[in-house]
Amino acid sequence: MTDPIYIDALGANGSYRARSRLTVSDVAGDPLVELSLVPKLFVSRTMSALRKADTLPLEERLAALAKAGELFATGVVDGMSAADYQYTVSRMSGTPLPIVREAVQAIARSAADAYRSAQQARPVGAVNDWRDPNARRGTATWIRRGDVFAVHAAGNHPGVHSLWLEAIALGYRVAVRPSRREPLTPYRLISALRASGFGDDQIVLLPTDYAAADEILRQADLSMVYGGQEVIDKYAADPTVLPNGPGRSKILITADSDWRDHIDMIVDSISHQGGTACVNTTAVFVEGDPTPVAEAIAERLSAIPSLPPEDDKAVLTAYSLEAAKKIEGYLLAKAAGTKTHLGGDGVVDELADGSAVLRPAVHQLDDPFAEQAGVELAFPCVWVAPWTREAGTAVFKDTLVLTAVTKDERLLDDLLADPTIKNLYIGDHPTYWMAPGVPHDAYLGEFLMRTKAVIRD
Amino acid sequence: MIDNILDLPVGARPDSDEFVRAAMEWHFNPETGSAYWLRRAKTLDFDPRADVKSIEDLALFPNIINELRDVRVEDLIPRGYGPNPDVVGVYESGGTTGAPKRVVVLRDWWDRIMAWMNAGLDAAGFPRNVNWLAVMPSGPHIAGELTTKHAADRGGIRFAVDMDPRWVKKLIAAGKAEEADSYAEHLVEQAAFVLRTQDVGVIMTTPPLLERIARHDDLVDLINEKVEGIVWGGAHMDADTRYLYRTEVFPGVRLRGGYGSTMILGGTNERADLTDDDPCIFDPPAPFITFRVVDPDTDHSVGYGERGQVVMNHVSKNMLLPNNLERDLATRVEPPAGQAGDSVADVSPVARFDDEAVIEGVY
Repeated sequence: MTDPIYIDALGANGSYRARSRLTVSDVAGDPLVELSLVPKLFVSRTMSALRKADTLPLEERLAALAKAGELFATGVVDGMSAADYQYTVSRMSGTPLPIVREAVQAIARSAADAYRSAQQARPVGAVNDWRDPNARRGTATWIRRGDVFAVHAAGNHPGVHSLWLEAIALGYRVAVRPSRREPLTPYRLISALRASGFGDDQIVLLPTDYAAADEILRQADLSMVYGGQEVIDKYAADPTVLPNGPGRSKILITADSDWRDHIDMIVDSISHQGGTACVNTTAVFVEGDPTPVAEAIAERLSAIPSLPPEDDKAVLTAYSLEAAKKIEGYLLAKAAGTKTHLGGDGVVDELADGSAVLRPAVHQLDDPFAEQAGVELAFPCVWVAPWTREAGTAVFKDTLVLTAVTKDERLLDDLLADPTIKNLYIGDHPTYWMAPGVPHDAYLGEFLMRTKAVIRD
Repeated sequence: MIDNILDLPVGARPDSDEFVRAAMEWHFNPETGSAYWLRRAKTLDFDPRADVKSIEDLALFPNIINELRDVRVEDLIPRGYGPNPDVVGVYESGGTTGAPKRVVVLRDWWDRIMAWMNAGLDAAGFPRNVNWLAVMPSGPHIAGELTTKHAADRGGIRFAVDMDPRWVKKLIAAGKAEEADSYAEHLVEQAAFVLRTQDVGVIMTTPPLLERIARHDDLVDLINEKVEGIVWGGAHMDADTRYLYRTEVFPGVRLRGGYGSTMILGGTNERADLTDDDPCIFDPPAPFITFRVVDPDTDHSVGYGERGQVVMNHVSKNMLLPNNLERDLATRVEPPAGQAGDSVADVSPVARFDDEAVIEGVY
């Protein structure tokens, strides 16, 4: 790699190449990107400029959004073609190239659909404008809770950047702090938004070190952060921060259903998109003997090939060898005392370029309440556990998606009523299923907006 | 003879080895040394008067800095000053790691180091005959005293804001970030009262407080209108931040850093004529204050341009504080020609982007 790719900060006065930079390497350890790290002073001045900026009128911003999505997905942005971008993301983050391509398409669709999708969250009693005829009789209007929205983004999957486009559609000015693992996607997306009509003071990219990161949140009206349990706990009491944490998605098969009819869905839920999403299944609960289910899952997952991420047939996410070994060590420690069906000798598979993939792991637990069922790792790693009527819904506490294969309507009523289970998919639907207009973890609009009464002459 | 070389002005460049030998003679001679060092010398496995012949040999000393938490300050004053030493003050370390460490500052040293720092301000084009606003640690901290002296020596009046850094650290350690935040805003508010109503030509403050001041557009305007120079110290400033201040925030205001510590009884000056891309480089007044940038695991100097931990020495007639490993990290820089020890750049805590440990979940 001769010339590094510079990812500059995108501030309110244009792009800024900092003297302080972080070298981001590809999964094989070769330097790939020079990421500018801006100091706190840059952050506070930029956030202050966002606050003073205007919001583009609705029609203009929706047109700019759609145009930006198209440019992002297919065009040349900041001198980089779409193909080069996808390849680079794949080498940098280890995300398989086919997954990057899908995510890019999804981001373009989200850009075009962001407003319509966001509108799904609007209460049935609310309108968008005081000019709406309903206002003469008195109505609720749907308004923003603030003007400036910040995102501490994740780098596990380019698709995480489709969600905050709804905030743009709703009229927020947005600041994104990219992840160090993959800062290229938000850089390209924000560059595309700026090239399509958004002002430099309306959408910014603020790569910062740890110390300045909180400053972004402090100066935003509302924020969304991604992270582990530690991050979730840190912001749990802060009503201005929406945390996105471990998904701990799960599948339940009760005795009235035959798991054999759903094995494709189960395996797919675990390994789809490389198993790195919060909607990938972390644990499968089986009423009855879980052993044959675990064996069948292990057999199917063992057939996944180990390929470098830029391969058209790649499924597994690649990591630097060091990172892969760290995760493997963590898994082996957590898995102590469980029954291993796959991955007991280790899951790290070194590739020719010096990077490594984490091969699938299947472990069987003997207690529905075993703590491992909540251990979510960013590769196809599943815990198969017995489920009993006594265990009931309590084992599904804090689950992003639960797919329940059961005919027991009473149980389904209980699962639906439980607010700690964020999404309930009934029957043969994989945990990763998503559709525009259907919430992922409640509607983002529920967080970004509120209602205000309006009556007029 | 001994007295002569130790009594030179800080700006003078005596032969550093000769200087160190004279200082050993002063501090370890029963006639002139302090009660503390004479007592401490008995537990050393070398004889400072015979064995310490150069700046490098100061590394023979153990790091005694923690003992300054308990020593009677009278015991720190060299007997050679006689029964009525001219004590400027007793100053304490930040106190962020438990009980504070104490030093005694005597008149001769204080006048010398201040004259040297003043010359540095002149060289950097800082105005004389203007008033100073100090938003720096006050109370037992040396920084506040320094601004009083600066303002007076340079023909101005000093305005001050009370500041207790220990309370802030305590709040942060207890997870009370919001209270720490309110305290900092309180300080800015106090500073604003002075800025709005008084003639202020120079501000001395810390980088974190300067950042807070810079968040207030009205204060930025006031500073650009009234203030000719800003001296910062007590924390760290990177080249990007300095560039933003110079180009965007305070374009007409002189900005100059100081890197000091109570444990060297003073500070150093930021090297003049640095370009925008240069890091902030600090040259200490050797041989009185010298730095060594080391790998803390081996205690060997790192190469020029490499990062290491800063070891500080203070050697004067006033005090001997050798071989003190500070917590700061810095890049080792070649000193000005003919000067002993290292200069330092990019003094900072360790940069951290994210937690490196394995975190469950996919983000």
